[in-house]
Amino acid sequence: MVSTSTHVPAELEQKMDEAIARYPHDRQRSAAMPLLHLWQEHFGLINDEGVNWIAAKLGLQPINILELVTFYPMFRQGRAGKTHIRVCRTLTCAMGGSYRAMENLCAATGIVRNHDTNGMHSPVSVSADGNFSIEFVECLASCGTAPVCMVNDDLHEHVSPEHAANILTEPKSGLVRPAHPLEHRLVFKNIGRKDWTTGIDCYLKDGGYEQLRKAVTMAKTDIVNEVKTSGLRGRGGAGFPCGVKWSFIKQDERKPVYLICNADESEPGTFKDRYIIHEDPHQLLEGVLISCYALNARTAYIYIRGEFPEGAKILEHAIEEARAHNFLGMNILGSGFDVNVHVHRGAGAYICGEETGLIESLEGKRAYPRIKPPYFPAVLGLYMSPTIVNNVETLCHVKHIIAMGGAKYAQLGRTNNTGTRIVCVSGDVQRPGYFEIELGAVTMGQLIYDMAGGLKEGQTLKAVIPGGSSAKVLRADERFKLKEKQPDGSTIDREMSLFEIPMDFDSLAAAGSMAGSGGVIVLDDSRDMVWVLNNINEFYAHESCGQCTPCREGSLWMKKITDRMLLGGGVVQDPKTLTTVADNIAGRTICAFGEACAWPTQSFVQKFPEEFASRATKPAPPPLPPEYTSQELLEQEQIPTLPLTRDPGWEKAGASGMI
Amino acid sequence: MNEQLINVPMFNVQIDGVWHRFPRGTRVIEACAQAGTFVPRYCYHKKLSSPGNCRMCLIEMGMARLGPDRKPELGVDGMPVINWMPRPQISCAQDVTDGMGVRTNSPLVEECRRGVMEFLLINHPLDCPICDQAGECELQEFSVEYGSASSRFLENKVKKPKNVELGPRVTLDDERCILCSRCIRFCQEIAKDDVLGFVDRGSHTVLTAHPGKRLENNYSLNTVDICPVGALTSSDFRFKMRVWFLKETKSFCTSCATGCNTLIGTREDVIYRQTPRENDAVNSSWMCDYGRLNFGYIESERRLLEPRILSGEKLVPVDWPTAMAQAAAQLKHCQGLEVAIIASGRMTNEELWLTAQLAKTLGVGWIDIVPRFGPGDDILLSEDRNPNSNGTRLLGITAEPGAQLPAIVEAVKSGAVRALLVLGEDPTKLGLSLEQLKELPSLIMMDILSSVATENATVVLPSFAFAEKRGSMINGEGRLQRLNRAVRAPGQARDDWEILRDLIQACAGTNGIGSVEDVFRQMSETVPHLAGLSLSKIGDLGVHVMEVNESPAPPYTPASHDIEEEMEHQPPGRTSK
Repeated sequence: MVSTSTHVPAELEQKMDEAIARYPHDRQRSAAMPLLHLWQEHFGLINDEGVNWIAAKLGLQPINILELVTFYPMFRQGRAGKTHIRVCRTLTCAMGGSYRAMENLCAATGIVRNHDTNGMHSPVSVSADGNFSIEFVECLASCGTAPVCMVNDDLHEHVSPEHAANILTEPKSGLVRPAHPLEHRLVFKNIGRKDWTTGIDCYLKDGGYEQLRKAVTMAKTDIVNEVKTSGLRGRGGAGFPCGVKWSFIKQDERKPVYLICNADESEPGTFKDRYIIHEDPHQLLEGVLISCYALNARTAYIYIRGEFPEGAKILEHAIEEARAHNFLGMNILGSGFDVNVHVHRGAGAYICGEETGLIESLEGKRAYPRIKPPYFPAVLGLYMSPTIVNNVETLCHVKHIIAMGGAKYAQLGRTNNTGTRIVCVSGDVQRPGYFEIELGAVTMGQLIYDMAGGLKEGQTLKAVIPGGSSAKVLRADERFKLKEKQPDGSTIDREMSLFEIPMDFDSLAAAGSMAGSGGVIVLDDSRDMVWVLNNINEFYAHESCGQCTPCREGSLWMKKITDRMLLGGGVVQDPKTLTTVADNIAGRTICAFGEACAWPTQSFVQKFPEEFASRATKPAPPPLPPEYTSQELLEQEQIPTLPLTRDPGWEKAGASGMI
Repeated sequence: MNEQLINVPMFNVQIDGVWHRFPRGTRVIEACAQAGTFVPRYCYHKKLSSPGNCRMCLIEMGMARLGPDRKPELGVDGMPVINWMPRPQISCAQDVTDGMGVRTNSPLVEECRRGVMEFLLINHPLDCPICDQAGECELQEFSVEYGSASSRFLENKVKKPKNVELGPRVTLDDERCILCSRCIRFCQEIAKDDVLGFVDRGSHTVLTAHPGKRLENNYSLNTVDICPVGALTSSDFRFKMRVWFLKETKSFCTSCATGCNTLIGTREDVIYRQTPRENDAVNSSWMCDYGRLNFGYIESERRLLEPRILSGEKLVPVDWPTAMAQAAAQLKHCQGLEVAIIASGRMTNEELWLTAQLAKTLGVGWIDIVPRFGPGDDILLSEDRNPNSNGTRLLGITAEPGAQLPAIVEAVKSGAVRALLVLGEDPTKLGLSLEQLKELPSLIMMDILSSVATENATVVLPSFAFAEKRGSMINGEGRLQRLNRAVRAPGQARDDWEILRDLIQACAGTNGIGSVEDVFRQMSETVPHLAGLSLSKIGDLGVHVMEVNESPAPPYTPASHDIEEEMEHQPPGRTSK
């Protein structure tokens, strides 16, 4: 149907047609990303021909496809090496030495890295012989085993920075971890079990899909009510009550209702969904199917981040297994309910974790979050139809709520903070990893010192980022005033240290931060907070979608300031500039990314003023000509040199003190 | 409007402490404007969808507080109590609700605007003096109120492509682009040609077109108009003239029967650009590139600058009285079916009416105009490329344009017609050969450009182009619109109505017409559709005067009198042949 000089094999085109069939027939644009993945897997890159071919295939304009190829970093317009290495650059991995790993990998593979930082995407550098290519990527969601790299589609954990080249020859390693006594395993019951496999038989032997069987005999409203009763709050980051969200969907809705499982786990410090997807896919699927039934959603999409290629395959296999058992498909379990679940792969954009950004991405567009109002997903979501977007862990909890009953589930944890949740601890602790805890039953101190084994030898705690990198940092010596609810309903203020804060939504919010996605990043006293903030800022500058002004401009500005401070060019105004820039972003953007990128800066500068001041000692230089650096001007000799009245003290102003 | 007021519920909205009433469906930003408070904006355009991406229109907003009975609580003033939201909200994407409160001048709002201005400018080149948008740049405008005199930005700016040809008529400077996406939305929603998009991400996002499919649709230059900054510029206009030197004259486009309302930008009798002027009854806020750029011929070297008459074998320049006397003498020499007038659908009503008077005076047997068709579209461009076909119908020049034309041509060929008066048309394009024209004892041509025909006329009367005169036309929808003089005509060219009046006077004595207003007055006394109107009363937005039959336009046949000729005189920008 489409003419191109590149031969598209029939087999590939057939796969593409299958991919297109997963979306409503008038929504073929949604297949753009699957088709780009298929094209790149086959041809190794997405050249102009690929763009034109896919555009024609889907009845789109070439610019629609080009927009995607350049937005999602996993799509390459140039050819990578036979072995492609992705080195995680984000906080925990960087703390574990991923920059050194990068250097050693480059040396071992003969790659000369291109240090062009002006382009948004970290460029892919290819070795001269074309055998290897390497790039820095943002968080691979395995912070518990940092530093990590991906070699082609395989994740390598605990990479030794000094012997990083070993990953090119060694097989990848797995992580097996028995539950800690303080844990209360519900969702993670089967994670890390030696006798556990991803196959459906294993899951069925363990009582799998019983809750789905039970659910399809229940009234849909009863399921929604059970979830409401359970008090389940979303585990993706915002902590919105799941039952309330579900009740926005009318039971007699005429438009098709969609359920989207948000498996775009990418908040730095968070690595819980990874294990559910890779080790217990049927649990997720069962949760998805029960939720679909409750919401009368006939179609569910699991939006899985592109960096989980294996996870996508596992899920696709699980879907086929479940279909064979009539857990999904037509008339599931004789209930008369038809439901289909499809896996949709992302391609390396953190913003796809934002629900409306995800929906746009699923519609085959750049993941630009939508304005709310009017585009509340429950009203105008996917394809402008009512849509519920839930996190992987949240959907797994639904299964357990059906098993236990909402009221019983609500007895776990504390009022308004019910159930269990998986907390991911990473950074400077002895035993980083995941822990499923009853909400509020474990304190920060227990989590860090008992469960995660405390800090490394000879180090003391400096700070904790309690809910993924966008949560506000908490200082080790801070005192917090938390309201504590008494049995009689009254509240009293209780002052406590960081270690006493219970790990639940409300306590962490009261402490001025948030439980977020459950990613606890521990920083010890060896950490330079300017360096840490700079790493976080680089993440957000890289991941800002660029749609709305404050975040687009502010995230990169903050990164440039901390960059300069690290290089020794900090000027006295920098801390204040950082804070005000962050203030000008938070609360003024289309989506919560604004807060996510502003909170780290606001809290780091506020809580570690001495460290920022010590790196911001120089007087502000005179403003530079906007278009050119002084270096360029000196080289071009286009302006007369003038003696400066004072030394700007900034290396860019030139060593001679002349501009 | 009144009907709407009756049927649409009215909502109470408090804006900056004062309660107003607005019909349901009013955007908050528009409500503020109606209440006299302009909210600065970049991405919002009332004719396009609202993405809410620039964040310049942030305001404080509140909703009516609901009591336990789900009804708004009323305050001591009897008005709803407002629950103010803690975070600022955009005003461009939300409609008013009953009991809504808006603050557009609070400290928080001012701070938001300052913040957004600063963000927009940190990576924006600050070389305003050499930017083509200077003077009509919204970054400059809002900088006055919300900008800072100095910059805190000590870093290097993001570098992006400059001087990118997005298409044959539009040039892009990506460093100036503030990524408001107005142009992208225009192409998708109005031009129905989805060619623009953003590539890359974050602060490095760049506006572009796919190299294989450029911005070359016939509406591309509207993106330049709606670009709030100097990113998109007209390749034709850029760096030709500082906009603050331009005198803007309200007029309309005469390149087709749509009659898009325009502003003609001129300086010292030179036209630099035409831009669309909003008129929701005609062209919304847009116009096509073809019409917009179709003014270069006014400055053509082929402009006729002086009246000339045939003396012996040669056309010699003469003064106007001589030329008029000669023309009148030639016309009076013939009678009835010996005289034919070929008028033009590009003439104004006033000119057409005078032409009709002249025809009556002379007892002319043949009169028609030249129909002119081209491919149209569903947006603005009409298949009828004559701007005033309806005027020719209304003023009795012809019931059906072109119906008599073949007969006139035959009569000229056979020698039955001895005097041919051609007004603004080229008879050689009607199938008349040069030899046949040369056979005519008198060929009187009133035109603006010289042609083979004018070179072989017996009298040549140089007249005015559309931008040089005042007058009215009736567009394809039956709307009477007014041309205003934007520039003075070159040489000794005279206004068409004066030439026609003088011809009538020379043939039949005085007629009491001293100005174009007099022409309109006399015309309105005889034409019922125009009764009670005057040129001033037409106003800037025109008046609907004629019910137009919904009969489909005749199909376009490329063989008919094509419009390619003018294209030669177009600015170099237009290359889409």
